[in-house]
Amino acid sequence: MPPDRTAEAPRVLHPPGVRSQPLREAGVPTASTEGLRSLGRPGTIALAFALLSGLITHSYHLFDYPLYQTDEGIYMERAWAVIREHGLSPQTYVYDHAPAGWIMIAAWVYMLPGHFEAFGNPVNSGRVLMVILHVASTFFLFEIARKLSRGLLAPLIATFFFNFSFLAVYYQRMALLDNIMVFWVLMSVYLLLRRRGHLFTGLWSGLTFGISVVTKENAVFFAPAIFYLIYRQTKEESNRSFAIAFWIIGASAPIVTYFLYATLKGELFPKDFSFNLNKPPQGHVSLLYEMWYQIHRNSGTLFARNHSGLQPSYLYASWLPRDPFLLLVGTAAMVICLWVGWRERQQNPAFLIAGGLAFGIAFYLARGSVILDFYVIPLIPTYALCIALVGDRMLKRIPIATAVPSISLLCAVLLLLPGGGYLLKHGQQGQLQLADPYHVPQTFMQQAEIAWVRHNIPTNARIVSDDDIWVALHDVNPVYPYDQSHWNAATDPQVRNKIFGGGNWEDIDYIVMSNGMRQAMELNNGGTSTSTGPEAYMLYALDYHSSLVWHIHRGNVNLYVYKIDH
Amino acid sequence: MLDLIYAVLVLVSLLVTVQSAHTLYLTLYTWDRPPAEARAPDHFKPPRLSFTVMLPARHEEEVIQGTIGRIAQSNYPEHLIQVLVICRADDQGTIDKAEEKISQLQRHGLRNVEMVVFRDDPINKPHGLNAALPHAAKDVVAVFDAEDDIHPDIFNVVNTVMEEEEVKVVQGGVQLMNFNSSWYSALNVLEYFFWFKSRLHYHARLGAIPLGGNTVFFERNLIVELGGWDEHNLTEDAEIGLRLSAAGERIRVVYDSRYVTREETPPTLGHFLRQRTRWSQGFLQTLHQGSWRNLATRRQRFLAFYTLAFPQAQALLGIYVLFSLGTMFFFKAPVLVALISFLPVMMLLAYFLICTVGLYEFTRAYGMKVNPSVIVGMAIAWIPYQLVIAYASLRAVGRQMRGVSNWEKTRHVGAHRQQVAYHTESLREAGDRAA
Repeated sequence: MPPDRTAEAPRVLHPPGVRSQPLREAGVPTASTEGLRSLGRPGTIALAFALLSGLITHSYHLFDYPLYQTDEGIYMERAWAVIREHGLSPQTYVYDHAPAGWIMIAAWVYMLPGHFEAFGNPVNSGRVLMVILHVASTFFLFEIARKLSRGLLAPLIATFFFNFSFLAVYYQRMALLDNIMVFWVLMSVYLLLRRRGHLFTGLWSGLTFGISVVTKENAVFFAPAIFYLIYRQTKEESNRSFAIAFWIIGASAPIVTYFLYATLKGELFPKDFSFNLNKPPQGHVSLLYEMWYQIHRNSGTLFARNHSGLQPSYLYASWLPRDPFLLLVGTAAMVICLWVGWRERQQNPAFLIAGGLAFGIAFYLARGSVILDFYVIPLIPTYALCIALVGDRMLKRIPIATAVPSISLLCAVLLLLPGGGYLLKHGQQGQLQLADPYHVPQTFMQQAEIAWVRHNIPTNARIVSDDDIWVALHDVNPVYPYDQSHWNAATDPQVRNKIFGGGNWEDIDYIVMSNGMRQAMELNNGGTSTSTGPEAYMLYALDYHSSLVWHIHRGNVNLYVYKIDH
Repeated sequence: MLDLIYAVLVLVSLLVTVQSAHTLYLTLYTWDRPPAEARAPDHFKPPRLSFTVMLPARHEEEVIQGTIGRIAQSNYPEHLIQVLVICRADDQGTIDKAEEKISQLQRHGLRNVEMVVFRDDPINKPHGLNAALPHAAKDVVAVFDAEDDIHPDIFNVVNTVMEEEEVKVVQGGVQLMNFNSSWYSALNVLEYFFWFKSRLHYHARLGAIPLGGNTVFFERNLIVELGGWDEHNLTEDAEIGLRLSAAGERIRVVYDSRYVTREETPPTLGHFLRQRTRWSQGFLQTLHQGSWRNLATRRQRFLAFYTLAFPQAQALLGIYVLFSLGTMFFFKAPVLVALISFLPVMMLLAYFLICTVGLYEFTRAYGMKVNPSVIVGMAIAWIPYQLVIAYASLRAVGRQMRGVSNWEKTRHVGAHRQQVAYHTESLREAGDRAA
């Protein structure tokens, strides 16, 4: 017979020798949400601190740092296509990513007065949305940690890293699908933990998870942990079968819709049903072929010091320098969570769920496929959660008089000592200054680049540029209809043939680029500028027929405008 | 012109999707509520209320004796039970069988079963009930059908609920059992399962409930005050439920797999079609008759209207299914329009998944096992089943427009009793194996 959900609340037990502590709701942690006290005054203050700190760290200096990234530009231009052209991309949509993320950006931009120009540069509109989503994600993470730990210490630790880590602030400010995906995933987990026993919770959780998958496909790596969570949450409920069925229905709906879209467009299968990776089908895009291609992409391992022969992997070049503490301690915490969670899974699935969430995405990153700089984003909240749960468990074993100073000291080290790098760092002359996200201006260079183009290049010029300035040059007069990114100029037959004469360097008038774009061009071209790869004609124009007409430089960022001499 | 077609397609698709979502919600309503709300009491109060059981029967020679026997031998004091077997004088076969059983019971000392034979028209169940009402001598009037397998403790359940909760009307659970006896039986069984276990609770909570035809209990004075059943309505049960709701009477629904009344699906497609036609036409009659308009709140009236008009909506949906099948092959719409028009299909798939889970829940609740082939059969039968129901609704409209309102009787052969026997045998076998 199913147990009555209104049965007595779980007993509250204190570990031996430990007094009740004001910061925690002491008790045996379980995934159950029954009997959880409301936040109360301390909880409300803690939550308000988490939300406010997240808002400040992510919005202060937002439009100046970091540099607008190529991928931010891509998603903004696709959002532009949704609003202005009622399509999914201004170029050929090749199913490289599912579209829910930029549809959401488009919906947001559409609501803004001034649309893409509401906050100056079009990418800024996307970044403001990211801040809003970050604050919402902070709330979800706080509540997830609170419900898994049944206390307030874990949510404070989790949201501390989520809000202050340099890695977090740097990547979470960017208008990227990964940030939107994390928002949906956290919401999905939160919904399952929020109300136990309610049938439709499963539906909404499944639906949000499904949306996360069609926002960024790697969300599927969270599926085992989330499914385990609903399995455990409904274990003693009479509506378990229906709740799980609802979760599946909700999760399937957006994914099925995506496949249906491709089917209706006649783009589900490749031409002649050929999945030959050595011979990509020409002139016909295909969802299944693209998935097949993505699954088989391999560019070495995350742990290789020499990544693709050009540079160390992002782990060494980008992630560890930004926050070694989060990554190293987070990995250890994940392992502990899995180990402890497995041992106590019958009584308390909290650790296994947190460890499972982190392991899913860590496995995705470590398995050896193509990894981009910002793919670390989903790892941040899950590592923060693992650290929080392990930290909470450890601190519960020591007296309050030791626990509070310990945690305060760790936060102070990370925040205030230059070695921590979260808020302060040493400048080039050794002076103490705010960390880069709150201090270094970078995007002014791209604004200057756009301004120079507007004043000096005619609107009928055929321009090869990067995606980060695409919307700026297409949404506001004067419009540059023949400006295209190097990637599309190389791979999209519509662009390559119609604007650039099928790949003829003489059909290029200007190349507007950064040093990063130059690296990307060479990488896409097979690692060299002299081969006959898809970007060869642009590199040839650049190296042999161009004159530098504008240049700006700051730190390791160089922006150039080259005129192609015909 | 094309834009207008697209707009209509989008509008209809959205409406059907909303309606499907609402149906899905009602289907699973009770699973989103605390389980105790629907359950029967675990402990019974001492018997106090007395019951008059009305057992209308027509051409029920095959099942009437078993039903009389079960009621007469229920776990309730004999002096608190009065059984009235109601037959029309021209149905000599059933009368003979019933009298034979009464004699048999009397030989065993049970003298609380009587025959009520009427001769006048119309020949239908509500007339039979009204004819027997003056003979009802107990506190509570209970209505059962001739083929019902009642639980021996059902009177204890109702006595306890009426005493503890001070309600005057109780609707007990009714459940078709033979889910694998024909191509449509699994779907038919699930309709009952979801209707009695879930949806009726929603109706009861809102106070606009079309009652079922049996395992329903009324305080005798209440039914007399109301003037009995509507003899010109083919679903007098639903009509009286709405009349009671309009009078502000609180109705308690008890669906507990331990105490449901077990029934069978119609034995042939023809009988199924005629049963559905009767229900659809009865709802149509109730809709036109208008007692639902007396319900107190707009929400109650909307729910009643939605429920009564639903068979007609089903007829339209049936036509829409054919139309949408046609558009899939012969109509090229813009992708967004096509995506929206696919939403009802997604709801259909969701509903099918829920039904599949529901079938497993049903069989688990009743100690049966479901073969995966039943699920495959259910998938194949899904669209044809909807079309049969749609056809029944259209037929009901046709009959109503022609002024035809005779009672098309559903034949009963006791298939649910075979099901129970089979189940018992299975359990015994399992027990033997375990031993």
